[in-house]
Amino acid sequence: MEFASEKIGEVTDQFRAVGTELITDKRKFAYLLLAPPLLMMTFVHFLPVLWGIIISFMDVNSGNLSTWTQAPIVGLDNYIAVYDPSSQIGQEYYSALRQTIIFSLGTIFGSYILGIAAAILLNQDFRGKLLARIVILLPWITPLVVTFYSWRLMFVSEGGLINSMLSSVGIIDQNILWLVGDNSMWALITVMVWRNFPLVAMLVYASLQSIPQDLYEAAEIDGAGKYGKFRYITLPHIYSVSSIVVLLLTLWSLINFSAPYILFGQAPPEPVRVLMLYIYQYSFNSFEFGLGSAMSVGLFALAMAFTVVYFKKTLGEQI
Amino acid sequence: MSQKQPTKFLGNIDRRVVSNAIEKITSRLLLIGILGFAATPIYWMVVSSLRRTGDIIREDPNLIPEYVTFTNYISMWDRIPLVDFYINSIIIASVATIISLFIGSLGAYALSRYSFRGNRFVAGIIIGTQMIPRILILLPIFLIFLSVQNIVSLPMRNTYHGMIYLLTTMTLPFSIWMMWGYMDSVPEALEEAARIDGCNRVQVLRHIVFPLIVPGLAATGLFVFLIAFNEVLFSSIFAVRDVTPFSIGIQQFQTNRTTQWGEMMAAATSAALPLLIILYTFQKQIIAGLTEGGLKS
Repeated sequence: MEFASEKIGEVTDQFRAVGTELITDKRKFAYLLLAPPLLMMTFVHFLPVLWGIIISFMDVNSGNLSTWTQAPIVGLDNYIAVYDPSSQIGQEYYSALRQTIIFSLGTIFGSYILGIAAAILLNQDFRGKLLARIVILLPWITPLVVTFYSWRLMFVSEGGLINSMLSSVGIIDQNILWLVGDNSMWALITVMVWRNFPLVAMLVYASLQSIPQDLYEAAEIDGAGKYGKFRYITLPHIYSVSSIVVLLLTLWSLINFSAPYILFGQAPPEPVRVLMLYIYQYSFNSFEFGLGSAMSVGLFALAMAFTVVYFKKTLGEQI
Repeated sequence: MSQKQPTKFLGNIDRRVVSNAIEKITSRLLLIGILGFAATPIYWMVVSSLRRTGDIIREDPNLIPEYVTFTNYISMWDRIPLVDFYINSIIIASVATIISLFIGSLGAYALSRYSFRGNRFVAGIIIGTQMIPRILILLPIFLIFLSVQNIVSLPMRNTYHGMIYLLTTMTLPFSIWMMWGYMDSVPEALEEAARIDGCNRVQVLRHIVFPLIVPGLAATGLFVFLIAFNEVLFSSIFAVRDVTPFSIGIQQFQTNRTTQWGEMMAAATSAALPLLIILYTFQKQIIAGLTEGGLKS
């Protein structure tokens, strides 16, 4: 008995020693703090990404999902099927890719320009500034799962708010179909811009406020006009925050799923079938997981390539 | 020369006053336009929730409703199990937010304070996770959940802990990234002083670092909560039965033929209301938190 308790004491002492070492040793403490997030991310990010890439080389479908390890390895067949522009899947894939790019470009430009405009307007002195800042933040703080339905209601073609507003000021003389057909992309981009511009506005607003006022005064003495001041003082100062914001906007729209899914439901019209929706339908309606994974890997590679090039071009000197 | 000067000066002032006035009016109008754009969908949501069913979609919609009724707020509870959806969402999103904040800020602290081998690599991984199309990892996670159920007989699909684990981990890279910036802003001298006074590293974290980053935690927490609350992709696959969150459940207001717009907007308004109150009450802190944080890079 005595021996056992001695042993236990020894073990706990060892544990305690390891514990103190973990706390006292700087590097080990850092590892200790980083271990939980990395461990959790292993099963949601790292392993599944590798796994997804492996599946893209296999013929996994609804029939053999439970025994997917025995699914036949088909090499590059999935990729050939998806990326061959002459096949039907290839055609659909490239059209979805084109819609994704249109959607992303529209969202980025719209959110960025409107965000900067809002930031500059907010940066002036006027009464009710506090209220204006709250109102600008509304689209960001209200959950998109509720506001996108409100947009959907406004976009209803017969008796929706948008069509009746447009026709009452005389822009249109017959109702536009926003939720089906070619105009649905405009509806989607509008909603995404509405959702994203507040964040751009707030970040740019913060960096505008950090610009020293004497810079503008000095420029005025040197004879700079409105444009000159904007071009040579304001723009360089918001460059670094802008580069981060544009990167975020790009990634958020390239791999966005919620916006088209909520706005158009489970059967979205052809023009807004962006890659994420197309892959979702392909994987979970046709259950062709191998093909779906090959498509996702392509989208992943696109996002990675964009980020790497973007970092080199815009932030290269800073890092 | 000296006689002409005053008139010229006056003329300049006049022109400047006029052009300033025009500029001021234009910028106010632009601002009002932007504010209107931002507020209209929220306003329309609230107003539609107060209308009678027949008034919601009409050829000549009134901006201000003629009849105000609260029937939608009463009948929405009977149409679908809305209470369950709210409760599920609150449980999943808040627990995920708390865990993600706690674990994430500790990780951020490690990245901010210690430059060890692999520090940049970890940072790269964290940014890299933001590029993963979540549809790519959906099936593997499904299979991992299946294996967990088969091997240790712990069900993961359609459970609270499964959804909490998923959403916590999905938001972790974001928490770490945001908190990293806040951690950098805590002066290291303070920590060294506390160390000299005999605090160990855990005590330094608890008594020095955490009190200083509370604003950052609040802002990041709001962000993370919104991400978790808005999640639809994973929820549509992994939370379909007993733990269906609000983001998926609200779809039940539309059936094949019709959408119960009034009740749907009433449910939407009641989901948005707490967040609007938070925004109104803590707006200074929220704006400061958004703009001073790690997003600035």
